[in-house]
Amino acid sequence: MKRTGLLSMLGVGVLAISLLAGCSSKEKLHIYSWADNFNETVISDFEKEFNVDVTYDIFANNEDLLAKIKAGGGGYDLIQPSDYMVETMIKNNLLEPLDKNNIPNYTNIADTFKDPTFDPGNKYSIVYTSGVTGIAYNKKYIKDPIDSWEDLWNPAYKGKVLLLDDNREMIGMALKKHGFSNSTTNQTEIKTAVDDLKKLLPNVLAFDTDTIKQKMIQEEGWISTVWSGDAAYIVKDNPDIAYVVPKEGATIFSDNYAIPKGAKNKALAEKFINYMLDPKVSAANYEAIGYSDPNTKAMEFHSETYRNNTMINLSADELNRVEWLSDVGDSLQFYDRYWTELKSGRE
Amino acid sequence: MNKSKWFFTPVLIWLGLFLIVPMLIVVAMSFMQRDTLGNVVYSFSWEGYKTFWDSLYLGIYWDTIVLSITTTVICLVVSYPLAYYLANSSPRVQNWGLILITIPFWINFLIRTYAWVLLLRTQGVVNSLLIHFGWIDEPLQMLYTKGAVLLGMVYNFVPFMVLPLYVAIEQIDRRLLDAASDLGASRWKAFWHIALPQSKAGIMTGSVLVFVSTAGMFVVTDILGGSKSSMISNIIQAQFLGARNWPFGSALSVIFVLTSLVLIILFSRVMKSRSDRTREGGNV
Repeated sequence: MKRTGLLSMLGVGVLAISLLAGCSSKEKLHIYSWADNFNETVISDFEKEFNVDVTYDIFANNEDLLAKIKAGGGGYDLIQPSDYMVETMIKNNLLEPLDKNNIPNYTNIADTFKDPTFDPGNKYSIVYTSGVTGIAYNKKYIKDPIDSWEDLWNPAYKGKVLLLDDNREMIGMALKKHGFSNSTTNQTEIKTAVDDLKKLLPNVLAFDTDTIKQKMIQEEGWISTVWSGDAAYIVKDNPDIAYVVPKEGATIFSDNYAIPKGAKNKALAEKFINYMLDPKVSAANYEAIGYSDPNTKAMEFHSETYRNNTMINLSADELNRVEWLSDVGDSLQFYDRYWTELKSGRE
Repeated sequence: MNKSKWFFTPVLIWLGLFLIVPMLIVVAMSFMQRDTLGNVVYSFSWEGYKTFWDSLYLGIYWDTIVLSITTTVICLVVSYPLAYYLANSSPRVQNWGLILITIPFWINFLIRTYAWVLLLRTQGVVNSLLIHFGWIDEPLQMLYTKGAVLLGMVYNFVPFMVLPLYVAIEQIDRRLLDAASDLGASRWKAFWHIALPQSKAGIMTGSVLVFVSTAGMFVVTDILGGSKSSMISNIIQAQFLGARNWPFGSALSVIFVLTSLVLIILFSRVMKSRSDRTREGGNV
């Protein structure tokens, strides 16, 4: 989720990558998703097998996606909103219900990822990738055992803590630390969490979402809140980094398949989802993008290294203490105000 | 007469469609409301302006203005000698100087800003050199500080100051300076009473360009400041994306445009009265 490449940072915004050039009379599938979110070989295999053209445009964050779909769709057949955005889009009546008869491979998905709180019964969405926001730390500098969010507050790490530049994720983290829901609308609970985060500020080196990976790899920060998929990426480049899902619990997130209201080619989009959920295709795809594969039947086709990677495949125990973020409605205004206080150091 | 009218029509249409109309939309939206889902509700409300009247947002405004003025002053102090030197150099030096100043514009400013990250970070070029020469033992924390933000702003906007200054200084009639020195004025006096007042149009243009660009900047605080300080543009951006409160974001934008206008008018007044006084002083 929210993995933004340098390109999108540069304000390119929407970059259209036509995988097959030229105009033809073939059926077209228009995908709108995050950068580098598919194995391109898998997409071209799909094009050959079904004799269609696939175009793949990218967005940098859920809010860009929402704005575009709200403004009239942009002609997309398949989009990949994150968990809370699926909920927001359902409430805004922006998604088509999925016809599961066209997606028989839906049954391959692990039960953990079925029937999520943001879309009960998977009426409008099916999980694509997921991960958990945990703690990554550098064993070279940190010798104490790390197992709690409280560890970020350790005065020994002054100026060495990195936080995600994400309002809901970070206030949600402090809420979990105190045993509250990460999506509470109770003002006292939010205030408790925010007051605690203010005490964390002296430890904070920077807030960063897009390049937090590089800051950990370069050892600018010693300890940070990161998404499990990003942790896997960091460890590849810097083996001194370890990742842990804190004992108080954490936020789970996912990117999902969904079809925007009024899509021209709904049937083809469903065909694509079904194709991607094929065990072999699925294995090839997730090996390439390095995120966790929710497809239980695909496990046997994955490589040894992929299967043994504990940041890609979280344990059942870890998955037992996670919670989805959900839409907080009008309380978003409190979250935003508190976040502004935290980031500006003013009140 | 008619011909020139036609000549300007495309520009006027362009400005009308892509500047005036969007501004009017922003002003209109600033008086609307947000519903629970973050949609804009088309009913009149002062809510956006009322929310702004809060020590939190006022404080961020204040921080933004202080940083913008500091950047402008530093840019002016750094750029004036350079522009003065260039304007008084041989045509060859002038050409090369101007090319060198504009070359960075060929590279996207985000990339130039990221280059500072490579220079300043703990394992970066500067720290590595300092440690290599034994001047420090531990890497200095230069990135993600207020100083780094100021550096990034000044670095990015110095050309905006140098170019108008150069144009203004270049146009000063040298014979006036010669006359001043013939009449016994020191070089400093001649500069103070003749060159400086005559380059005030350049100072004015450069300062406004730097001030407005700095105040509207939000990426430098993110990249070099580690997002730890907020400028008003960061808050406006958040309202349009994460917080999904477009009316409040619009109200903040309108207030920002008005504040900038007032500051620029005040500044030009001050500049004008200064030069009047100088002229009077010169007459005595």
